[in-house]
Amino acid sequence: MTSLGTPIQGVTLYSFTRAFHARQYDLDGLIRKVAADGFGPGLEVIGFSSLRGFPDRIDDTFVGQFRDLVAEVDLVPTSLAVNVDTGIRRDRLMNHDELVEYMRKQIEVAARLGFPIARVQISLTPDAMESLLPVAEKYGVILALEVHADQHGAHERVLALRDRYEKLDSPLLGFTADWGATVTGFAPSLLEAYRRRGASEDLLRQVVELWNAFYAEGPPNNQKVHGERFGAFIGLAARHGRPDLGIDFGINGTGLFGPAPLDTWLEIMPWVRHVHGKFFGIDENGEEPSVPVRGLVRQLVENGYTGAISSEYEGWHWNNWQDPFDIIRAEQAVQRSAAADAGSAMITDASEARRILSSHLAQPVRG
Amino acid sequence: MIADRIIEQGTLSTQDGRTAVEVRIPWYRALPGSCIAGAALTVDGVAAPEDTLRWTMNNRTFSFEELVDETGEWWFPLDSAILSGDLPVQDADAEHEVRVDLKLYIPYIITDHGVLHIEEHDTKTMKVAQR
Repeated sequence: MTSLGTPIQGVTLYSFTRAFHARQYDLDGLIRKVAADGFGPGLEVIGFSSLRGFPDRIDDTFVGQFRDLVAEVDLVPTSLAVNVDTGIRRDRLMNHDELVEYMRKQIEVAARLGFPIARVQISLTPDAMESLLPVAEKYGVILALEVHADQHGAHERVLALRDRYEKLDSPLLGFTADWGATVTGFAPSLLEAYRRRGASEDLLRQVVELWNAFYAEGPPNNQKVHGERFGAFIGLAARHGRPDLGIDFGINGTGLFGPAPLDTWLEIMPWVRHVHGKFFGIDENGEEPSVPVRGLVRQLVENGYTGAISSEYEGWHWNNWQDPFDIIRAEQAVQRSAAADAGSAMITDASEARRILSSHLAQPVRG
Repeated sequence: MIADRIIEQGTLSTQDGRTAVEVRIPWYRALPGSCIAGAALTVDGVAAPEDTLRWTMNNRTFSFEELVDETGEWWFPLDSAILSGDLPVQDADAEHEVRVDLKLYIPYIITDHGVLHIEEHDTKTMKVAQR
């Protein structure tokens, strides 16, 4: 029997995008704030968001300062989110060799900064992941490909990656599970944002009904179904005389609120090295109204997960009327409560987190 | 998206028929010049001619044609870029309505229709900044 997991509490600085972008905190100040407010010990950073000059101009002075700061405030680097910018050129997509080199540079920075994991993205095919395995081995960094809506744990692209991982049998290849793949409702705070943009109650009701119908149908298992659903949101907005909202409905309705059932994560659970605790808001009862945080934490605990959960607040895109720090504090309280309800606990002590994370990342996949 | 922050309040400047404003990225992460696909600068309803627009970031100035191949210079989320164009602004003491439109490619999201692009705009009212 699997022993109960003890996930490590943490946060990604992405959650604080609005405050960082507004220059309320610089990187140093934001990391200190994360530590002081107890949002760690796990710390995740997006290279292209937080690090000026990433990845080509990260010098040793900066690396030293970053490592010293993280040690001083007693946080635990979990994942450096890196990007697969296949479409960086206007004339064509990157070729295979360009892509491997583009990723190599970012993975090298992850290692230099002390991140054990580099979060990579779905546009990497099984062949690309296989090509990157020697890079992962060279730098000793785990590549955790993010499973994010509109994909999910049982999507054909994800299963193809899983099957390749199984064949390659390396502890350095895995997944980052993003909770946005398994959402149970259209986020109420986004409906409120549309209301503030003048959307009628009738239109909002139909947006919810459309999303609920997709939820009832189940998640898209291929890109064709995804495209059809995206188009349905655009059509709905156009029929209500609000074509300006159509793309937004489509992007959020399919790309942020994935309607997969929780058990889809079981397809890839042994390869889940890292988790994005994606969420969108906290209601008046202190609960997340559209992401089943309690069920997701219970599932991780019951499956023996001992990696980190980076709380990833994404409501900042539209919610400019609530304090993100309060919202994240409330969501992490839900996570801790859920872990306790499942008979375990979230790890909030930094030294314990270091020990447990190191053992989680070292274990063979089928360990 | 953070479109309401594209225009930096109070940064409108004008000299010898050229007008400029400072702009912030309406996105959470840095993008290279090649992903800054187009812009428009409009003051009081008059748009600067497209071929006169220039983009300054990291102390380098580019035409939008030059940005197409520029994968070495990046627009960092904390940095203001400067959008400028041929546009006389007459009354320096009056309030002016400034509008900036931006088209950005999101290089890691590849759809069935190609690389995802987003179009954002912002409008703010301000006087010409005193030098």
